[in-house]
Amino acid sequence: MIRHPLIVLAALFALALPAAAAAAGPSEVPRNSLDPRVKLKDGDRYLRDLSAQLEIPREEICKELLQYDCFRDAFRIVLGGVDAADLGVNEPLEQEALTAPIALDRVALRVCVTRVERDLADPKHAVLLRGAGPKGTSPSPAWVKRTVQGLYDRILARDATPAETAQLLGFYQKVSASASPADTKVKDWVTLGCFAVASSVENVFY
Amino acid sequence: MYSGSAKERGRLSWTPGAAFAALLFGLLGAFAPHEAAAMPQAAAAFCSVYPEAKACASGAAPCAMCHTTPPQRNAYGTSLAARIAPGQPRPLAVDVFLSGLRDALKLTEQDDADGDGFSNISEIFAGTFPGEAASFPVSLTCKPGEARQASQQRWNVCAYDPIYAFKKVSLDVCGRSATRAELSTFQGLASNRKRWEPALSAQLDRCLSTHYWLGKEGAVWNIANAKIRPSHTVKAGQNPGPVPLADYEDDFNLFTWANIGDHDVREELLAQYYVKRVSDDPVKLAIMTEAEVKAVSRRASQNVPQERRVGLITTRWNGAINTMFTAVPRTTAAQAYRAFLGYDIAKMQGISSVPHEPIDFDAKGVQAPQCAACHATLDPLTYPFTRYNGIGRYNYEAGRLQNFVRSDGKRVTEAPENGILLGHKVKDLMEWGQVAANSDPFAQKVVGDYWKVLIGRDPETHAQDQAEYTKLWQGLKSPDAYNYRVEKMLHGLILTQAYGRP
Repeated sequence: MIRHPLIVLAALFALALPAAAAAAGPSEVPRNSLDPRVKLKDGDRYLRDLSAQLEIPREEICKELLQYDCFRDAFRIVLGGVDAADLGVNEPLEQEALTAPIALDRVALRVCVTRVERDLADPKHAVLLRGAGPKGTSPSPAWVKRTVQGLYDRILARDATPAETAQLLGFYQKVSASASPADTKVKDWVTLGCFAVASSVENVFY
Repeated sequence: MYSGSAKERGRLSWTPGAAFAALLFGLLGAFAPHEAAAMPQAAAAFCSVYPEAKACASGAAPCAMCHTTPPQRNAYGTSLAARIAPGQPRPLAVDVFLSGLRDALKLTEQDDADGDGFSNISEIFAGTFPGEAASFPVSLTCKPGEARQASQQRWNVCAYDPIYAFKKVSLDVCGRSATRAELSTFQGLASNRKRWEPALSAQLDRCLSTHYWLGKEGAVWNIANAKIRPSHTVKAGQNPGPVPLADYEDDFNLFTWANIGDHDVREELLAQYYVKRVSDDPVKLAIMTEAEVKAVSRRASQNVPQERRVGLITTRWNGAINTMFTAVPRTTAAQAYRAFLGYDIAKMQGISSVPHEPIDFDAKGVQAPQCAACHATLDPLTYPFTRYNGIGRYNYEAGRLQNFVRSDGKRVTEAPENGILLGHKVKDLMEWGQVAANSDPFAQKVVGDYWKVLIGRDPETHAQDQAEYTKLWQGLKSPDAYNYRVEKMLHGLILTQAYGRP
């Protein structure tokens, strides 16, 4: 289950966003499309992608109440799927459901929590927490930076821009200033860093 | 110049039959308490004034030029109506109306009826609707400076961007994002069209064979949902529902077969065979032998004899959920018209009224004026379905209508097996299938379905899509282009600006 401090940290992270965004240079602001027609990556493809990117089998990646597949059983229609035979929903909703962002955030957080839990349970095969250093110690700045790059590389298949790197590093500073034990800080930061990239507009739409 | 969005336009084919239907509307409107009345001759008269307007490509303007739902007028129609023969008593005689229309069109050219910032005349020539505020000309051309700037951005919004298209193909057809390694390789080719185009095509080919695209509940399967309308409750065969009547998997398999590989998509409406799914991952489909068809259990058997089969419109499933127990199965015909030709009669699309119809062989009261407007089209295209049984026998039976005398009256047996579809006489459902499968609306519907999946909107509702969409559906029909092969057509679709310009 997601614990309370994680939510507080998520709020902190959200507060950090505008400052980081403002740091982005004008060259990173793309021109608007003349014919915008952005599509939602539905829940099926969203989880399929995260399964490959975070190395969690698709069947295990996201379970609501630890038993219902987040897409097929829980948020299928809300996340852009169809269910013709049982619900008579033959085509995806014309407009995304009001609850879609809520479902998507929930799915993204669940996936990232699952990845971090697996990393902690099996450090030798860790994916995001690999090389974080001995238990109870703070990771090196190089590891933190490498982890930021790793998140962007895995989830968005590109390097993080300097602004994006600065954003997540700044967030790490905020988290590490808290009174929590070192292990908890690292775990929370990686979980929410993963969540931030996984729930980004770039990863959700195309 | 291109357009913004517009709804439900251009779908009425202004054949003489359509004009008859609209005339009926006009007459209804004339007797209605409000003043609004559609004038079907107006469509051709409009095009005699603006023959080069995009809306006049087929010779007559669509109803949506002046109406919301005929006889109700949109802002442009209202503005015109006030200027046609002012001072003359309403309703106007046809000749008075027509002589006044030309002047009214000219007088309102510089007005902006819908208040979207564009004059009526500029919208008429841009191919947008002067009476619909959501439809307006949009320039999709970048200025030279903008184009240069855009080409240096991560997304080049001023031109076809092959990297963007590559990413989309991976997601749309493979069902997954391109990997960093794939992107890196492709990016190395992106500056040279001769190199990136084959690589993009190869990626599409790889994706077209994935389970995501071909598998059960995959992308192709889901395109068929609205045509087949599966319902697990009455499913027979594997994984049956509580009231097993028929197995829709037969229908999905045939649909998938017709839409993949080197198969002719017209088989949706022409196939006289069934298709089995030998395996689902990897997907392997095969035509069933007649011995295999006969060996299917009685609960899911296909009973229409081979020579009477007409693709997806004579399957057991189609009979079970559409025809059910009806003598003159209008629902079956209307669903086929909607699913395969894109005409939803309930939305007044594809109206092509047949003189002296509807006859009302089954005493359903369809001659009432408010019903006849649609049934003059629907009933003649339904007659060829009347020899196919629904729930119970699921077969072809020449004397089928004898079974309905008690419920529908003696005259029901007079309903003919021949009918009229898209203005063509057809002697039976086999000819119905032939006419439908070879028609423009069928090709438009096939391309439109994929257009919607890959581009994310209906092609008919965006004027900026029209030229590329038209080229694709005409190419689908052309033996020198795609020759009714969907996969070939998709190779063309991913090269459109609509698909590849971010």
